[in-house]
Amino acid sequence: MRKFFAVVKREYIQRVRTKFFVVATILGPVLMAGFTIVPAMMFGIKSGGPTRLVIVDQTGKMYERVAKEIVGGKEARTNVATMEPPSQPGGPANPKEQVNQAGKMIQPTFVVEQVKVDNRSVDDVRKELETRIQNRELEGYVVLPPNLLKDGQPEYRARNTADLFTKSNVETAISRAVRGQRLVEAGIDEKTVARASEPVDLKTIEAGGKESKGEASFFFVFGIGLLIYMSVLLYGQFVLGAVIEEKETRIAEILFSSMRSFPLMMGKLIGVSLVALTQLGIWAMAFLIFSVWAAGGSSITMPHIPPMLFMWFAVFFLMGYFIYATVYAVVGSMVTTTQEGGQLALPVVLLLVAGFYLSFNIIRSPSSPLAFWASMFPFFAPITMLVRIVTETPPLWQILLSLGIGVATIVGLVWVASRIYRVGMLMYGKKATIPEVWRWVRQA
Amino acid sequence: MEDTKPTLVLDRVSKSFGEFAAVSDLSLQVRPGRVFGLIGPNGAGKTTTIRMIVNITVPDSGRVELFGQPMSTALQDRIGYLPEERGLYKRMKIGEQLRFFAELKDLRGAEAEKRIDAWLKKLQLSDWKEKRTKELSKGMQQKVQFITAVIHDPDLVILDEPFSGLDPVNVELMKETILEQKAAGKTIILSTHQMEIAEKLCDDVCMINRSRKVLDGKLREIRRSFSRNAVALQYQDGDGVLNDPALVANIRQHGDDTEVLLVPGASPQELLRRLVESGATVTRFELVEPSLHDIFIEKVREVA
Repeated sequence: MRKFFAVVKREYIQRVRTKFFVVATILGPVLMAGFTIVPAMMFGIKSGGPTRLVIVDQTGKMYERVAKEIVGGKEARTNVATMEPPSQPGGPANPKEQVNQAGKMIQPTFVVEQVKVDNRSVDDVRKELETRIQNRELEGYVVLPPNLLKDGQPEYRARNTADLFTKSNVETAISRAVRGQRLVEAGIDEKTVARASEPVDLKTIEAGGKESKGEASFFFVFGIGLLIYMSVLLYGQFVLGAVIEEKETRIAEILFSSMRSFPLMMGKLIGVSLVALTQLGIWAMAFLIFSVWAAGGSSITMPHIPPMLFMWFAVFFLMGYFIYATVYAVVGSMVTTTQEGGQLALPVVLLLVAGFYLSFNIIRSPSSPLAFWASMFPFFAPITMLVRIVTETPPLWQILLSLGIGVATIVGLVWVASRIYRVGMLMYGKKATIPEVWRWVRQA
Repeated sequence: MEDTKPTLVLDRVSKSFGEFAAVSDLSLQVRPGRVFGLIGPNGAGKTTTIRMIVNITVPDSGRVELFGQPMSTALQDRIGYLPEERGLYKRMKIGEQLRFFAELKDLRGAEAEKRIDAWLKKLQLSDWKEKRTKELSKGMQQKVQFITAVIHDPDLVILDEPFSGLDPVNVELMKETILEQKAAGKTIILSTHQMEIAEKLCDDVCMINRSRKVLDGKLREIRRSFSRNAVALQYQDGDGVLNDPALVANIRQHGDDTEVLLVPGASPQELLRRLVESGATVTRFELVEPSLHDIFIEKVREVA
């Protein structure tokens, strides 16, 4: 047992102390923030300022309405974001504000101008506007025909008709305006019209809100699954490297002459995993601090999740991580280089993805035989059992059984890995075939 | 010394890998306080034998007994092993590394630290304690590796090619250290291809070829038994004596030296008497015992 701890200690300290670990730990959140904020900003940047549009209103009464819809329709909602408390000095450096700006920019802004036909023919007006577009004074114009309210077809001309966002904005705005005008003309008062034309998506937010408890837990399960997947991909390589290290440096022989291979392999796995958990822990803390700070002191609306659930999340995350990490250990014991190992391990890791797919079925019938067996199969259990727990919590014995099977799988895999490792070590430089490996397992 | 209990007993030990027999039916005894040479050509089965002794592999059949007990993981701590395939953690500092290996042998704390310092000093490595492996020369790494084998003061030290990669000065240092270990009552198993060194260090020798033991016993006795009745001569005149087929079987000339192989049963004394009688001036007359090198080659060729 003391030798086991010696191995754990070595694996842990050697890795945590490397520059790579320190740099990765610091850079990780920075990169993550970069990957979320930068694309949002890129997407939001609209070069060339607001879109300038001219409206030629032949109906004589629609301009106001249409202009309001085009300019104000979407703005109204974005304004809510900008009306938050003013940001600290040094504005752009503040990521929170950048996010907001990005969010604002993503909505195209419009400047609308009315051009009256008066005594000229519509074609003359068109010609004039075409010239203005050519002179880059305008991005486009809209012609509302006199019979717009009946069956007239409005016309949108623009320099860039491929700009689908603008086109759809204009289209929606005109539709709304026409609908509003028709209602008013049908004798319904303005207030009712305003209420009726209120965008419906506000209501969907409310509807979602009512269900948020279950939904949030559910997203958590996917979050956990994703976390397992990410950390296995990230740290599986570490496990692989740790197992192969002694093969490459030829130290295995000394180790095996000092201790049994099972505690050695287990020690490696635990040591490296502690490194992984340390890093994840630091990141989680950083994330938490960041979100508290970004929320600007105001309380974060955390979805209400019972503490018991959190415990299951933690337990199944650990189980999932370890099951897949041991796969890397087994693979590491078979191969001689990390590159080979990564390729060999990947198909197994994809089982985790299969677990995701299964969970879609399980959500609908969490107590079906399929759900039961999928949550007992150790490679699926980390996700499928969690899905069952959040949807329709199965009896405790099932959860414990699933955990038991998982732990047994981990121990079994480590045992197999240690056997293969020991026998494989005796035949340096030779890549093992599957039948050989099977023989080694029985033989060692 | 014959009646002391052997440190190590291999009793009809066999190990094969698939079709390939690495060690067949090998029996040997290593007595305490002696240097035991395990020799043989490449691929003879030496390394597999050693691995069974240190409990890395388990024999298919036969018995390994150490200090009078059947081999077990508990006994591993009493063995020090310098494997032929050597390696140290590249990025670890020498001090840390030795501490780790000591811990693997259940030695830790202040005692471990004290011994590490003592050994580093002895092998002139004190200045390198805080350096990483990759900064050390091959010879230095070799010495560090040797320390890992003896740091826990084991009763049985197994050294597989301990001299490879060492310069002559360090070879001497290593030899001295091995003899000191012997003087301290340790049992040493030495596997090497350097026959001149084995000859100087070993008390007993076991030779393996093609998975089987071909020779076993005290080095002195082995050499005597291989004596081919040969004489190394330096002389002037009296040529006729060597031409007597009743006395001399073969003559080989190496520069000034003449190596005379006598007819079986002929007495070297008779040769000396005849030479003196014939008026020859004898400046060198020496009974030649075959070197371990010669025996090795003869034995290997015999099987081939």
